[in-house]
Amino acid sequence: MWFFILAELLVFGVFFLAYAFARMRNVELFNASQLELDRLSGAINTVLLISSSYFVVRAVDHIRHGRSRACAHWLLAAMTLGGAFLVVKMAEFIAKTEAGISMSTNTFYMFYLGLGFFHFMHVVLGMVILGAVTLKAWKGGYSATDHVGVETGAAYWHMVDLVWIILFPLIYVLH
Amino acid sequence: MSSAFTKSAARNIFYGGAVFFFLLLVALTFDTMNTLPKRDNRANLTESAARGKHIWETRNCVGCHSLLGEGAYFAPELGNVYVRRGPEFIKTWLKIQPTGAPGRRQMPQFNLTEQQLDDLVSFFKYTSGINTAKWPPNIEG
Amino acid sequence: MKYKSQAVAKPYFIAAIGLFLGQISFGLIMGLQYVVGDFLFPAIPFNVARMVHTNLLIVWLLFGFMGAAYYLIPEESERELHSPKLALAMFWIFLVAGAATILGYLLVPYATLAELTGNNLLATMGREFLEQPLPTKVGIVIVALAMLYNLSMTVLKGRKTAINLVMLLGLWGLAIFFLFSFYNPANLVKDKFYWWWVVHLWVEGVWELIMGSMLAFVLVKVTGVDREVIEKWLYVIIAMALISGLIGMGHHYFWIGAPEYWQWWGSVFSALEPIPFFMMTVFAFNMVSRRRREHPNKAAVLWALGTGVMAFLGAGVWGFLHTLAPVNFYTHGSQITAAHGHMAFYGAYAMVVLTMISYTMPLMRGREANSPAAQLAEMWGFWLMTISMVLITLFLTAAGILQVWLQRMGASPMSFMAAQDQISLFYWMREITGLFFFLGLLLYIGSFFIKGKPATAKDPATARGLASATA
Repeated sequence: MWFFILAELLVFGVFFLAYAFARMRNVELFNASQLELDRLSGAINTVLLISSSYFVVRAVDHIRHGRSRACAHWLLAAMTLGGAFLVVKMAEFIAKTEAGISMSTNTFYMFYLGLGFFHFMHVVLGMVILGAVTLKAWKGGYSATDHVGVETGAAYWHMVDLVWIILFPLIYVLH
Repeated sequence: MSSAFTKSAARNIFYGGAVFFFLLLVALTFDTMNTLPKRDNRANLTESAARGKHIWETRNCVGCHSLLGEGAYFAPELGNVYVRRGPEFIKTWLKIQPTGAPGRRQMPQFNLTEQQLDDLVSFFKYTSGINTAKWPPNIEG
Repeated sequence: MKYKSQAVAKPYFIAAIGLFLGQISFGLIMGLQYVVGDFLFPAIPFNVARMVHTNLLIVWLLFGFMGAAYYLIPEESERELHSPKLALAMFWIFLVAGAATILGYLLVPYATLAELTGNNLLATMGREFLEQPLPTKVGIVIVALAMLYNLSMTVLKGRKTAINLVMLLGLWGLAIFFLFSFYNPANLVKDKFYWWWVVHLWVEGVWELIMGSMLAFVLVKVTGVDREVIEKWLYVIIAMALISGLIGMGHHYFWIGAPEYWQWWGSVFSALEPIPFFMMTVFAFNMVSRRRREHPNKAAVLWALGTGVMAFLGAGVWGFLHTLAPVNFYTHGSQITAAHGHMAFYGAYAMVVLTMISYTMPLMRGREANSPAAQLAEMWGFWLMTISMVLITLFLTAAGILQVWLQRMGASPMSFMAAQDQISLFYWMREITGLFFFLGLLLYIGSFFIKGKPATAKDPATARGLASATA
């Protein structure tokens, strides 16, 4: 599983490098377009994801002590925040689309929308994984000694969170 | 790979990854189809150009030439031939084949009618107007 | 061979090798036409020779895949094939349809062929690799569906393993994506966009599943390594293949009128495409070095190792060389593409089919392995063909670099034909190496006719060949 998570980070890493490279060649365009972004919603989303990651940590802690139900509750809470992230992000995408902006508008928007959507799909996938783990935890499928599934799901969710923590300053803030 | 990494985990990654990236491909395809009207020169895709494409296909031109860089590399790129040579040259060229020059590459004589030649030229005019992100690097293709 | 019905693979493999011979013959004709332009003109113009060359490649690989599937799926499912008769009937239909198509290319002008075969009803012909007349295309679909029915029924009723499921999935994907060949809009950009859904999603998508499954099957058999380990590898490899390859399709969308963001998506993901091929090499070598038994068929082991290495070089390294958009801007549609195409197809697909043939043919002929003498000839064939292909690729790469330099860079670029004249030396060298490839192929075919006592695991001659390959 770690191999897979590393591969994912590699893909994002390459995209971040590509972004840096493209930005270097056209700093003004990137800076100008960056100002058009909704930084508040980006910041809210950062808080949402970091909190959800904390909830997942709580969930893992509970299952380590064999408390299945509590684990499932925390996971549900994490997924709720994940869902909220998706709603906020969706609103951002809709606002951009209504303003007539697409991936072909300019290179900056290609990265903003492309990477954003790519990450968005990862959040969805992360929620599917957490959902499966939650269901199994609820049914008592994990125990204090056997909970690899929870840890794997948690690791994936942290990866998605980590990518956002890099993505947000890089694309929304860094001038 | 550690022993904790089981076959079923590998299987899940395969199925999950395949579905995930196929959906991403579909999403990008959807966006591409929405963007194409701005790039694919459909304004010049006349009836004549469409007939010209049919001539292009049924004479298997792509078996020697390339079109927007795809095809065979035995004979010159034709995506931009309309710009490089102009309509009259193209028509004359097709009429005088094969050259019969000994040892040189030969192009068959297709016996196209005047109408068919005009259609083919319309097709090349259409292809030369497609936004190919500035490819080829120069007029020689 | 554990089940009688597996023998249906035999005619498929024989046909595959026969068509392979035809493919190489036409390759030699084309290669000569590159330097002696009027060779065989107007009897066989270049475009006809090329169509025959590429279509024979596709058809013989399909024969190979089908034969492999008919052999592998009963064994994995642990039961007889659902209907060996249907499989045999499909063989003859496909062979006759394939032969008729090739004869049509050679004997009838293409435009007439198009008219005769209903291309005016539904125009699908005249696009690279999809030149087949409508009836042939429909025939391919019918043969594929009958095969899928036959194989799916076998798997459904039998044991399900990673190997047979992946094989089946690959074949289903092959059939489904082929349907895009019936879509041919007048809009050239759309035409090209979906043309790649056949071509790219075949060779850099579902064919990799088929390849992985075949390789895993042979490795399970010849190394005796635990199936769990091999199947885990298989899943990881094909997962990486699809993860990188699906969006990697973007590397074909740089210059055909598609939006420019494909330059980023295509570059990033196709830069990852060598990973699954690299893993395949590591996989093959790893399994062979951890082998629990000495299989007497050393030639098959050599092919299995060879396909790993050559697929990585041809598809992985040579693909990566020109996949990044800023590089591809100059190399797109040049001899670099031809160089990559040759080694990738040979390394990944021709060799994996030959691996499968090498492993199964002796079994279908009633012995575990061929005689040491026959294996030695086969291994010579392997080395001759493989080294020739490496040289062909190198010469075409040199030709491509020179072509790009003369025709696409600098202040006063040469015209296409002027540049071609400058690089004819490399074309000559490619043609001569092609003759050695042909010799290798003849030797390979000859090895099937060498008799003698079947080899045992301890035969020194063949064991040495393998030891030097794994060292």
